[in-house]
Parts: sequence; structure tokens; C-alpha cells
Amino acid sequence: MAIILKTEELNNLENMAYQIRRLALEMICHGQWGHLGGSFSMAEILAVLYFHTMNIKPNNPSWDRRDRLILSKAHGSPALYATLALRGFFPVEKLYTYCELEGILEGHTDMKRTPGLENSGGPLGMGLSVAAGICLGLKLKEEPRARVFCILGDGEVNEGNIWEAAMASSHYHLDNLIAIVDYNKVMAKGMVSDLMGIEPLSAKWSAFGWEVIEVDGHDIEELTDALYRARWIKPHGAPIVIIAHTVKGKGIETAEFNYKWHTHAPDPQTTDAMLRELSQRYGKPVEGYSRINDPVRKETFYGGE
Amino acid sequence: MVSRIEMRDAFGNALIKIGQKYPQVVVLDADLNTSSKTVLFKKVFPDRFFQVGIAEQNLFGIAAGLALTGFIPFPSTFAVFASRRALDQIAISICYPKLNVKIPGSYVGLPTSRAGASHNCIEDISIMRVIPNMRVADPGDNNDLRAIIQTAVETDGPVYFRVTRLTVDDIFGADHKFEWGKGKLLKQGNDVTLFGTGMMTSLCLSAADQLARNGVDAEVIHLASIKPIDRELIIESVNRTGCAVTAENASVIGGFGGAVLEVLAESHPVPLLRIGVQDRWVDSGGIDELFTYHKMQPSDIASSARQVIEMKRPFQISMSG
Repeated sequence: MAIILKTEELNNLENMAYQIRRLALEMICHGQWGHLGGSFSMAEILAVLYFHTMNIKPNNPSWDRRDRLILSKAHGSPALYATLALRGFFPVEKLYTYCELEGILEGHTDMKRTPGLENSGGPLGMGLSVAAGICLGLKLKEEPRARVFCILGDGEVNEGNIWEAAMASSHYHLDNLIAIVDYNKVMAKGMVSDLMGIEPLSAKWSAFGWEVIEVDGHDIEELTDALYRARWIKPHGAPIVIIAHTVKGKGIETAEFNYKWHTHAPDPQTTDAMLRELSQRYGKPVEGYSRINDPVRKETFYGGE
Repeated sequence: MVSRIEMRDAFGNALIKIGQKYPQVVVLDADLNTSSKTVLFKKVFPDRFFQVGIAEQNLFGIAAGLALTGFIPFPSTFAVFASRRALDQIAISICYPKLNVKIPGSYVGLPTSRAGASHNCIEDISIMRVIPNMRVADPGDNNDLRAIIQTAVETDGPVYFRVTRLTVDDIFGADHKFEWGKGKLLKQGNDVTLFGTGMMTSLCLSAADQLARNGVDAEVIHLASIKPIDRELIIESVNRTGCAVTAENASVIGGFGGAVLEVLAESHPVPLLRIGVQDRWVDSGGIDELFTYHKMQPSDIASSARQVIEMKRPFQISMSG
């Protein structure tokens, strides 16, 4: 039985995905650093997790029974920070301090600085082990209610550490662990299938003893249903992976499936045009870059490839 | 006085004791528990022992996760694998967020039972020392090891400590306490300071005996706490003796000798010679044979001490002139 969202809930989640993209891009431009492509591909995943699936209390981030999210692809930090701000972990205004020295929002995640973060990351391949460790700890504490979600990049599954963690998670029957692969088909320097193919991806996870669900990672209803089932219905002795088929850079035509927008901070004018395009795509009132008159950081780095 | 058990057995026993005292202590292993002796903990606390298989990167990632749920994990493997294979996980998953993980590095330095260069860990002190938030200790004997484990558990944040696969002479009593950044003056002397860490302190004491027979009055200081290091004690001692020898069961590059040199170079430069592995691999061999081959015997420490005392005079002239 599928979870049916009310129109109002669906609209709200879609709006959240839009706001996550919009704020992530504003941060990347304002901070003049960041990863647009991988932030945009997981906007719906984060919207559904934080505004539908996860059992959390933003006013009590260390609540014992909370669900946790480990962002293993920590370069997606703009999207996660935007989500945490929208969910009330800290003021949205703080997003404009992204990558500032001694700020609360590091380029890659630092759990000691940012309210709502559950780990620190950056180097790929590490997060699933940390998530598995939390799951083991929750089992040891006999806490059956909390779940741990872990978002992986598709290129990230090239890392051997992912498969060490995958093997251990099924060995320890971590059914409180739900991995989500943001399968946006593009790595830092090209297509996954060209640089290091990962197919058959579903069969790989199955062979490692995981329960596999495949979804369209931009379809809010499919995601909501898959995450709800993984969170509330499926736990029966095996870890669960949701392979979410997504589009890198989803929402801005020039960035879609384009590795050149993996790491790339656009200038304010380009950002303004991108945000206008984004708002039109979502059928929103046309909305450009809100900080277009702010001075651009001096050490501007327009490269990124 | 010779302790009856190898340090790794003392390690296994100390884990049991700490496990009895702290229910949040858990031990993780990557298929080496009968070598590292975490098997002793496993037998007493099977439910708090996690086998992760031959997967060291995962070993430290899982340890990070357990620490995030309030446990105090001891992820255990050989020092070579901790410091080389899983360094990124230790640095970013554990040390960056300052998680409460205590890392024992087994099979350190020369005594690893003829395992050869791949298993003789000579770089762990310098690698671990450079990571922010990490504390590093190398115990001088079994009581020192027990005290380090106790203090490590009482300290919030990551700790790396070494466990030698050797029966080391007893230096300290059962009531010995370990404090971060505090060295121990073991023998007072005026001509030269011998700074030892880990099992090498015991060899420094033997070297001091040899020197005493030849009329050289050596001071011996044990610095189990390599990071933080006891700056005051180091400076105070060389201020009197005017020269020093450091001794470590590891590479001299960037390790313990390097740490002592950093203190002295910045605050009180004196002639100093370093005993340890001189930028080469430690191949298979008998233990005593290896210590002779790498010039790390008490007689080598004594010989360096005599040499460094000779360096005092020209050094003092050049410093003043």
C-alpha cells in the first residue's frame, strides 16, 4: 500500500525542494565556493527526509531517540545547510555566512559547528561506516525507534570503504540503517559510466545482503512512499538501500548532467539568471538573486574543474 | 626487575579492568584479536566486542559511529594499519569532530616477531602526532600502559597509544598514575639528559647505568605523553645538563625525537642526538638482532650520550659568539 500525500503536503514538499535549491545556490554564489550539481540532485531527497520521514526535534538536536542523517557525500553541504535552516535548526540568515572563517557553516561538514549535523565529512567513502557504527550503538543501547539515513553519491560507491561498510551492515543485521544513493549519473570530471561504471548497482547491493528499493529521486510521491516504507514497514533484519535516480544539477538547464557544474561558483549575474530560471520551472513568481548588490568576495575563484 | 607478562597481555587484562569499570567501553577488532590480545576482553564481554573483519577503514568509521552514540570504543589493529591504511578515517571521522575514541596501535617498532617491513610500525608517532585533537602516548611498562588506558578513558577526545609486543622491565609500581603532558624524572644527573619514550626508557636506564660505570652522570626522563609533551620538564632538565639524547622505538623523523627537538629549538637549543630507526625499513630479524642492527641498544644510547657531551663545548661557544 502506497503512502498517499495530501495535495497540501505534496505542494509543501515540492516548495521545500525549491527553497533548498534556491538557498543552496544563493549560498554558493555568496560564499563563492560550493558544489551545485550534487546539491541540486538531492533536493527532493532532503525535503522528504526532513519534512516528512525523519523523526526529529530541531529545538532539541541531541534528542536520544532522533533519526539521524549522515551526509556521506559531504560536498552536498549547501543543500543540507539550507534544509537544516528551513527546518529550524538555525536561522536562514546564517546561510549567508557559508565558508566564512570561524562561521558555523564549513565548506565540508563539521558537526562541531553546525546545529543538526550528525557527523563531519569531506573525503568520500567514509559516511556509511559511521552510520553503521551509530546503528550498532543504537542496537547496543536497545533503542529500536531511531533510524539512521545515509546519503551516498554514485561516484562515491567507487570507494572500497563503502563496500566494507555494506558487508558489515548486513553481517550485523542493521535494519535501522537506510542508505540512499543519489544516483545523478555524473562524477566530478565526467559521467559515472565513463569514468568508473557502477552497474549493476542494484545487484551489487543485493549481493551484499541489502534490501534494495529503486525510485525516481525527483518524484516526491515515490520518494515519500519509499522512505516511509523503509522507515516504518521494512525493518526485518537487513539494511535497506534506496537507489534514487536523479539528475545532477536538476532545475537549471546548463547544469543538468553537466560535470562542469560539479564544483563551480557562478558570479552574481549568472546566479540571478539561474534563480529566475529555477523559479519559472517551479511555476513560482520570478525570483532572482537576493544578494545581488552584496560585494563579491575578493579571492573569487571562478574555476572549479 | 622483569615483568612476567608481555605488554600485549597486560593490554588485554587492562581492557577487561576498564571494561568492568566503564560499561560504555567497547572493543572492535579487525581479525587480529589473538595477536593484539583484545581476545581477553572478548571472552569476558562478548556483547561489547565487535568483529569487523579485515577492513580497517570500516573499523575506524564504525568506532566513530559508536562514539557518536555515547560509547567509548577501542578499535584495535596493528599500528601500521591504523596509521597508514585508515589514516583518513581516523583524521576526519574521529579527530576532526574530536570523538571519544581510544586507539591502541599494536606491534610497534622493532619487536613484531620477524614480520618484516610491512608490519614493523615506525611512523605512527609522527603520523598521529600531526593530527589536531589527537593525543599520543607510548607506555614505558605495563603499569604505565594501565595508567594510560585509565587516563585515556577519563579524557574526552581521541587518543592514540602504543602497545609493544615485548616483555618490558617494570619501571613503575601498581599505584603509578599517568597525566597528559607530564614526564617522569627517573634518575637525576648532570652531564646529559636521556629522554626516553615507550619501551626505550627502560633501555635509557640501562644506558645510564653503563655511563655511570664510566663516570658519566646521566639524567633519565620518561615521556610517555608525546603529545602533549612536558615542555617545562624538558627545558628544566637540559638547562642543567646542557645536552640530550632521545630514544624511541620508531623512526627518528617527525616522531618523539622530533617533538623534543621542537621544544628545544624554540626555547632552549642544546646539542641533541636521536636514537631510533634512521629513515629505513625494518626488515625481518630477531628482536635483539634488530636492536643491534638499528643501533638502538643501551650501549648505542650510551655511546650517543658520550658523543653529545663532546658537542656541548663548541655548541656553547657558537651560541655565545
